[in-house]
Amino acid sequence: MSIVPKETIEVIAQSIGVYNLSSDVALALAPDVEYRVREIMQEAIKCMRHAHRTVLTANDVDSALNLRNVEPIYGFASGDSLRFKRASGLKDLYYIDDKDVELRNVIETPLPKAPLDTSVAVHWLAIEGVQPAIPENAPVDAVSDGRRSEYREDGISVDIRLPVKHVLSKELQLYFDKIRELTVSRSNSTVFKQALLSLAMDSGLHPLVPYFTYFISEEVVTRSLKNFSLLFALMRVARSLLRNPHIHIEPYLHQMMPSVITCLVSKRLGNRFSDNHWDLRNFVADLIASICTRFGHVYQNLQSRVTRTLLHAFLDPTKSLSQHYGAIQGLAALGPSVVHLLILPNLELYLKFLEPEMLLEKQKNEMKRHEAWRVYGALQCAAGLCVYDRLKTVLLRPPKQSRWESNRKGMIVFPSKRKASMDNLMLQPPVKKMATLGPMGVMPVNSMAVNMQGPSGGFSTPVEGPRAGVSMLRHLQNEKMLRREVSNQALKTSTVLAQAWKEDAEGGHLLASLYELFGESMFSFTRKSELYFFL
Amino acid sequence: MDELQVVEFVATYLKKKGFSEAENALQAEIQRNKSSNNTNPIDILNDPELSKFFRTFSESEDGPARYQDEYSKLRSWTYSSLDLYKHELLHVLYPVFIHCFMDLVAKGHIQEARTFFNNFREDHEMMHLRDLQKLEGVLSPSHLEEMEFAHSLRHSKVNIKICQYSYELLLQYLHKTQSTKMLGIINERINFQVSPGQPSSISDDAEIVTLIGSNQDAANQINQKEVHWGLLEDSLENRLEKTGLISDSEKAEGENKEAEIDENKKRPVEGGKQGASIKKLKKDKAINATAKTSRLEANTVSTAPRVKPDLALPVMPTEVEQSILEDLRNRVHLSSAALPSVSFYTFINTHNGLNCASISQDGSLVAGGFSDSSLKVWDMAKLGQQAVSSGLQGENDTTPREDIIGPNGRKRSYTLYQGHSGPVYSASFSPLGDFILSSSADTTIRLWSTKLNANLVCYKGHNYPVWDVQFNPQGHYFASSSHDRTARIWSMDRIQPLRIMAGHLSDVDCVRWHINCNYIATGSSDKTVRLWDVSSGECVRIFIGHRSMILSLAMSPDGRYMASGDEDGTIMMWDLASGRCVTPLMGHTSCVWTLAYRFLLLVTNAYLKISDKVSTGFLFYSLTIIYFGCASCEGSLLASGSADCTVKLWDVTTSTKVLKTEEKSGTNRLRSLKTLPTKSTPVYSLQFSRRNLLFAAGALSKTS
Repeated sequence: MSIVPKETIEVIAQSIGVYNLSSDVALALAPDVEYRVREIMQEAIKCMRHAHRTVLTANDVDSALNLRNVEPIYGFASGDSLRFKRASGLKDLYYIDDKDVELRNVIETPLPKAPLDTSVAVHWLAIEGVQPAIPENAPVDAVSDGRRSEYREDGISVDIRLPVKHVLSKELQLYFDKIRELTVSRSNSTVFKQALLSLAMDSGLHPLVPYFTYFISEEVVTRSLKNFSLLFALMRVARSLLRNPHIHIEPYLHQMMPSVITCLVSKRLGNRFSDNHWDLRNFVADLIASICTRFGHVYQNLQSRVTRTLLHAFLDPTKSLSQHYGAIQGLAALGPSVVHLLILPNLELYLKFLEPEMLLEKQKNEMKRHEAWRVYGALQCAAGLCVYDRLKTVLLRPPKQSRWESNRKGMIVFPSKRKASMDNLMLQPPVKKMATLGPMGVMPVNSMAVNMQGPSGGFSTPVEGPRAGVSMLRHLQNEKMLRREVSNQALKTSTVLAQAWKEDAEGGHLLASLYELFGESMFSFTRKSELYFFL
Repeated sequence: MDELQVVEFVATYLKKKGFSEAENALQAEIQRNKSSNNTNPIDILNDPELSKFFRTFSESEDGPARYQDEYSKLRSWTYSSLDLYKHELLHVLYPVFIHCFMDLVAKGHIQEARTFFNNFREDHEMMHLRDLQKLEGVLSPSHLEEMEFAHSLRHSKVNIKICQYSYELLLQYLHKTQSTKMLGIINERINFQVSPGQPSSISDDAEIVTLIGSNQDAANQINQKEVHWGLLEDSLENRLEKTGLISDSEKAEGENKEAEIDENKKRPVEGGKQGASIKKLKKDKAINATAKTSRLEANTVSTAPRVKPDLALPVMPTEVEQSILEDLRNRVHLSSAALPSVSFYTFINTHNGLNCASISQDGSLVAGGFSDSSLKVWDMAKLGQQAVSSGLQGENDTTPREDIIGPNGRKRSYTLYQGHSGPVYSASFSPLGDFILSSSADTTIRLWSTKLNANLVCYKGHNYPVWDVQFNPQGHYFASSSHDRTARIWSMDRIQPLRIMAGHLSDVDCVRWHINCNYIATGSSDKTVRLWDVSSGECVRIFIGHRSMILSLAMSPDGRYMASGDEDGTIMMWDLASGRCVTPLMGHTSCVWTLAYRFLLLVTNAYLKISDKVSTGFLFYSLTIIYFGCASCEGSLLASGSADCTVKLWDVTTSTKVLKTEEKSGTNRLRSLKTLPTKSTPVYSLQFSRRNLLFAAGALSKTS
């Protein structure tokens, strides 16, 4: 009938010492007990609400009993929730586990730490209706970059910490998966070319950069050194990423460089005979050069580290010829001055080592011999470019001064015809000069038949162009200053000029030494006029 | 035939009046007649109908089963009725249900009452859960008498609005099915207000929902009384407008020489000028009157009528007045596009002991009432200093912070007020922040001075725990509400209450002053909100519509509206003039502990430069906005804090044209603007500063 069964009433009666309670009385009392319990609970809920709580505690029941002028039930207001245990053998009989406590144990236990005192902490729940993403606030959805900067502009000294979770949108995930699939399996398709273009142009790819760098390094280092086409595809992906103006790839360069250099100086790239790993090495050499020019100013030691690695590969006779080839190409791509400093001093020694490999009599292995010739070609090309660069600086010197110089040194007089042509060249605007010089610089490379392919050839031009232009402009400025100083201080000028002349002379010596080493083929790097000027 | 009809009539009458013995006697008589009738061939034509009558009457002995049977029939009929009339008929079901139950209890059929109740309670749980929970415990006829709720239900009639056609449908059905029990209940307990024409719309059922104990007619009568809800004649807002006008013209005059850089330097000078000009303005009020009214018409606040205070209000010192005016002038202007900034005070390490929190007007003081009878007050400015100084000392001192808030108790971060002998349920700062009132379960209210850090007065008068206490907006007076079902008005200098407001049927849970100090509003566990006239002590409005106990109240700054929040998370907006609910605001999922009201934007075409600098502890916030010729846009903002750990901001813009034409225009826009979730911190208290910065407080509750 009521929720409180008759038996409960009887038990309660017994507990207070009434043993002969008739069942009728118990039955009559039961509904009333339920009603009173409900009444007390209703009051207890009121107390709970006024304490601004949503969970009822034993304290609330005590206060409710107080309200009804009833003695509260002592011993339950501990704050801990009560643990009811089921009586063994009975289905719905529960009791509170009330353990006997040894008084000695209580005395002996050390005092617990005093609870922390109540205090108040202040934070901004919202600033003009917008919740700042501070630890005190409930985590909000990932805040966009634009919003974050907005807060900063307000000049509020709130430490904004973005949620640690890195959120990658569904679209980007799809994009990444697609690119990966293309790179791995279909690198010859036109779709892949489009993908490369997209990688180089799209602005929203920044979140994917870590994934791509990881992908590239993982693929190169761990798995696919034997898969030539995949390697090439990976390098193309890397180049596209590096070219993308919207990506800040600097923080990930250290992850990318090892795999790129591996592709340049690895012993074996690809496992098939037909794999043209020379192409790949040329391609990567240019890639490294472009990385060094672009990020050299950010990472001061980037180029020095690259050159050291390459030089080690070049000077180690135990390394295979293909590794030497990669190292030479890499160094050559870094510019003529690097070649001049690092390759030329070692050239004679190296050629002595290389010569036996090239000769039919000494090296019977067709493959090895081919490799040796390749290396020879690369060396020749590098040295030739270096010489060209040297001589070019000589040529750019204003003729008047040269003549003055030469008069002093008593050597050779320039033909007046040359003077006119040089003047003509000087009058051209710098851009045009660059345009005329650029192709000249590259032409020998092409003529050496190093199989520069379309994309790589097109890429090398802008790299070489500005460099030549820059060096040229610097020279021009030097010259201007020189001329001014010449008129004023003859003494000082003479030392500077002596230095310059020394360089010229060195250029000549260089050509001569290279001629000794490479023979006639070196002349294709110099112009006719210069040739007879020196010889 | 005639005789039969008479017999039927008599039988129903006896049934209805509960004369069971007479009824039985009649039945026995009829039974005898019937047996004789059966042998009589003449009456064979009437036999089917007759036998039906007799069967129904013979069944009346097992009454309890009939209640159940008839109710379930009525229920299924109602649910299968025409959609157009269904909702009206459904309203009838609930009173019928509870009266069936109570009838059964009253007749002593406890067991049947229980099963009946449990069978059908689900239908009504959604709308009337709290009532059902109360009624569930009624288990004997004596409980019906004892329990006030049941008692009042049984001694009053329920008003139900119903359209003509629905009414006829219902009666027709009841007659056809011979549901005499149902008919009896409907006749006895329900007062139908039959209206011709179409049934009312579904949404218009606020009054029907609450079956209050009190007489509905009485409530209606009370609500006929006049309420002067306007602002005080000489309120600061009012003065601000005057000074605003002056400053406008001043600015216009000196606009070309006014450079933005010396704006701040000019301020005090300007203030002085305005102070002087106020007096001047008062003198030649008559001259300016016409011009002023024309200007004021565009302004929302100014459209509110002015009333004279019935109480003798304290006079504010002029320097305080000036600073308040300064604050009001420099307040940040809020709109639905420019929401307020919310500074949140989180109480940590409360160990479930924090009962209430209160924030002073300027947000510099925060008080917490604890269940261990203590009242603790934090001075935010001091807290900030301590943090700063400790940061400075940090280099030489190894443990600066522990020292300050350390457990050794020598240096506490708060001021401890001890004096109560029961849990502190409410605290309220005086408008100037120099006094605090606290109410406790020990039936007393204590007045504390924040300057002296001491208890000044103990007000005794209530007989039961005092749930809520609030200072008058002007200070000096305060109102309290208690478990003893009364609200009382006190003044600081008397230890006896000035007025006792009695009338609520259950605990008075919260109390708030009207903005013009002439009224107080009280929210109660009887699910009504009442408005009382302070000077007469009479109840002038009863607002019926909530479905559970009222926990929070807030008055609109223009005095026209009131908001109330209940245990279920519903917030209701009331129009004080009409006593009607404007719109319920649904959104919270748990108890609405606190409400705060604020105007969005009151300014017409004025050039304003607002620079609000409020230093709250170690946070420093500075904001400068420049408005050029803001379009007049009136509206108000309601902030609500709830146990579901959110602060919600509502746009409660209402059409101001309602004022002029008494009819309701449908342009009320009430919508939730923003929900600001906290980090598992139920929001106990909200307070708008005079510069429209919103302060919120709550205790961090770790959910394990």
